[in-house]
Amino acid sequence: MRETLVVFRRELRSFFLSPIAYVFGILLVSVLLYYVSEGALQNGARASAEGLFATLPLMLVLFLPGLTMRMWAEERKLGTLELLMTFPVRIGQLVFGKFLACVVYLACVLALTLGLPLTLGAYGKLDWSPVLGSYLASLLFASSFVAVGMFWSSTTRDQMVAMLLSLVSLFVLYQLGNPQNVEYASDWMPAWLVDLVSGLSPHKYFVSIARGVLDSRDIVYFACFCGFFLYANALVLESRRQRG
Amino acid sequence: MATPHVRTDSRSRERGSAPALVLHVLLLLVVLAQVVYLASRHRARVDLTSDGLWSTTSSTRDLLARLDKRLVVEAYFSPKEKLPVAVRETRAWADSFLDELVQLGKGNVVVQRFDPNADKAVKDKATRVGVKPLELRSQSSTSLSVDVHWQGLRFVYGGDKNKVVPQFAPGSSFLAEAVITPAIKEVITSQKRRIGYMEWPATNPQGAQAGPLGWNVLRTLDGIAKRYEFQNLKDEDGALLPDDLQTLFLFRPKDLTDRQKYVLDQFVVKGGTLVAFVDAAEYMVGPQRTMTRAPLALDAAGSSQKLTDQLLHYGIDWKPRLVADLSRDAFQPRDPVQGRFEYFAVPQLTPFGQQLSPIEYPYFFHPVAIDWKDAANDLAKDARGQVDKDLAEQYRKLFVPGMPSDEFVFQAWKQQKRGPGFYWPTWVGVRTKAGGAPDLPPDVAGRVLLWSSPLALVEDPPQSLNPIGFGDGQQRLDAYQKFAGKLRERLAAEPRQQAPLMAEVRGRFVSFFAGRERPKRPSEIKEAEAKKAEEEAKQAEAAAKQKDGEQTPPADKRAEDDAAAVATEAPAAERGDRPGRIVVVGDADFLRDDIVRGDHAQAGGPVSGRSAAPFFAQMLDWLAEDKDLVALQSKVATDRSLKLLEETRDPNADPRLHEQALRRKTTWLRALNVVLPGALLAALGLCVYFVRRAQKRTFLSSIG
Repeated sequence: MRETLVVFRRELRSFFLSPIAYVFGILLVSVLLYYVSEGALQNGARASAEGLFATLPLMLVLFLPGLTMRMWAEERKLGTLELLMTFPVRIGQLVFGKFLACVVYLACVLALTLGLPLTLGAYGKLDWSPVLGSYLASLLFASSFVAVGMFWSSTTRDQMVAMLLSLVSLFVLYQLGNPQNVEYASDWMPAWLVDLVSGLSPHKYFVSIARGVLDSRDIVYFACFCGFFLYANALVLESRRQRG
Repeated sequence: MATPHVRTDSRSRERGSAPALVLHVLLLLVVLAQVVYLASRHRARVDLTSDGLWSTTSSTRDLLARLDKRLVVEAYFSPKEKLPVAVRETRAWADSFLDELVQLGKGNVVVQRFDPNADKAVKDKATRVGVKPLELRSQSSTSLSVDVHWQGLRFVYGGDKNKVVPQFAPGSSFLAEAVITPAIKEVITSQKRRIGYMEWPATNPQGAQAGPLGWNVLRTLDGIAKRYEFQNLKDEDGALLPDDLQTLFLFRPKDLTDRQKYVLDQFVVKGGTLVAFVDAAEYMVGPQRTMTRAPLALDAAGSSQKLTDQLLHYGIDWKPRLVADLSRDAFQPRDPVQGRFEYFAVPQLTPFGQQLSPIEYPYFFHPVAIDWKDAANDLAKDARGQVDKDLAEQYRKLFVPGMPSDEFVFQAWKQQKRGPGFYWPTWVGVRTKAGGAPDLPPDVAGRVLLWSSPLALVEDPPQSLNPIGFGDGQQRLDAYQKFAGKLRERLAAEPRQQAPLMAEVRGRFVSFFAGRERPKRPSEIKEAEAKKAEEEAKQAEAAAKQKDGEQTPPADKRAEDDAAAVATEAPAAERGDRPGRIVVVGDADFLRDDIVRGDHAQAGGPVSGRSAAPFFAQMLDWLAEDKDLVALQSKVATDRSLKLLEETRDPNADPRLHEQALRRKTTWLRALNVVLPGALLAALGLCVYFVRRAQKRTFLSSIG
């Protein structure tokens, strides 16, 4: 645990010292709030942050690969990965420490959007519990995408390749849960396969929590999803280390 | 220098080869799939919404706890995997709610599933019991077909009583509950409650051939008709009401004879509940919306007692005058898009062409659930915008909340912050003394249940209330400005007052006819007249016979005959043993068939279906003290509309200034929300940059 915390602190510090994290944060928050605030801040409209959380997943799909691409690829490019491997920590601890740092950084970025719910709460009766639930859902959703992005970052030394692979896979995962696509797929795919494929998308579980119901099934799904990709990440790094 | 320590364990060695890696991943997938499956079987969920929008209400739980026989739910469902995706979502909600029913039913609820598409016998049975198939279009690039799917329910309670929900496609757990719980309530209710009614239909402006306009639609709504049995008790001969009748509804009483008033009097004196929906005048709506007053007399020709006096005797003060409410909160449609025909819309030129747009017509409004004391300062402003403190203090003492009662009939309405919409309502309060304190008869308690805003105007019903006339666009605009201007002038000239719109009195009433002669039934009068004529004839005959030397029959025989005629009716009760109840609502139009059905929607309203039906249903449950569905009816989302700028209630305020201020504030808030978070992060980044640069310089200078 101590080793994980050491890695976590190092990574978190590097986030806040790197300009890319600030550029990422400012772009994500500004674009998101620009699109959302027009609909949300209207006299007579319902005081609800639903618009924010309906737009957030797509924004994360577009922006997160830019953040996760450097997680391992940069280490490999700079040659610091080998140095990291020499530290007295398990690979799992390394992976989890980095993952945790990225999630905490994202939590800080998400916290910057709190201004909108606070404004809604000041001028209307905002139901805060579902909003907090939606923030939790967003964090879980972002975590699952971070796990995917980290995995692709571990497979290549080129950050652009890692970003493109992440972007494509996250976009596919996001679209798998899109009801229109599911309807289209159901025309030519067997129903059980449609259910299975749409069930893979974190978007579906995000929507379930964001509507205001905290369900143990959704939490377990996110935990398993993150666990699977982090484990795959560790396996890739392990095999690389063994290959020398 | 120490050699870097690398931890290698046996597991990492095992993971070296490619097949081992694949095996690892596959095993992990299997384990995770198991975990997800188990989690779906043993789930825990927390509804985070403060309105409990995703939870079952106590109505459902209490009803299921009361089951003393087995409730079988026959679910006629096509297989889920064959349903289109849009319907599959509704199946998920339906399945989830049925599962919850079984759990809550603790063995008394059984769900039996049938697939009508798989078995012809099942299909025939489904059709026979009333389940209707969903005919859904399926379209691909090469074909278009109509698929028949089934998703209906039949509830069977105790083997004999049943209720069918022909198609069940809920979009949420709340909608599932809104359909299923009343159905369960209906099927487990042992007998219908009997309610009597008398109605005096309105004139139909479409002509006599279209038939009179009554109050049938709401009475015959499925959910109401299955639980309450309505019986028309308007008897031309004025027979007394049955002793076992508990509730009597009057829909727009008019032309009441003394005998009819006596029947109502005896009903409440003996402990009945009288509910009257009253109007001060009858205005015709029709396709042209003439808004012309039709003749309406409360008391029949020859009636010696006034209906208003009779009600005043019991403690109800009904002034047959019209109430208009000029508060924007009161006459604005709640939903400007969906509810634009709720009150009054007229053709107006918009950027999208000529469309029906709502206009201000203060004779159509709803009571607002706010405490009007809070608006005292706004209402006490003079023309310069200065608050008259003494007047404000006086208003604070005088004004009351628009919906003061916490009775369950008002719960849902209070959450929505407004009551049902009224059309040309009338003043209905409780009897008061000169200072405004209640002046109720002994043993009688009363209260006002709904109030208008303090911007109310009260007047005798004018002959016409058409705000736009019948001219072209400009003429209509001029007519409307004149109409609105007159109302504003009156408002400026008259003192602020709240008009009561609905009142209730309960207690042991003394008969209005105590000490007065009992009004006779028309048949009695005819009979008496016939007898008198017969007697006169007999007397004439006897006189003729006496002349001839014959004897007349004894006088006591005639007295016996008279007594037999009178003894057909129970003696008048002057004071009842049981407490009675009178509820008077100051509008009958909002429940009338044409307005509930939406006959005037094409012309721009009024249409009251969205509020009248729930109000009527909740009122029935309230009168019957049936609280089973209260939690379900009260399950409405709290009003969470944004108020970026406080609405001024000052009638002199310029609305354009308000709009400008609102636009400024909205722009400012948007800019703040978009720019501030990014600016904060940028500021942090710059701080970090400068600190690091300073550290770097210090370091470089320290090394020379």
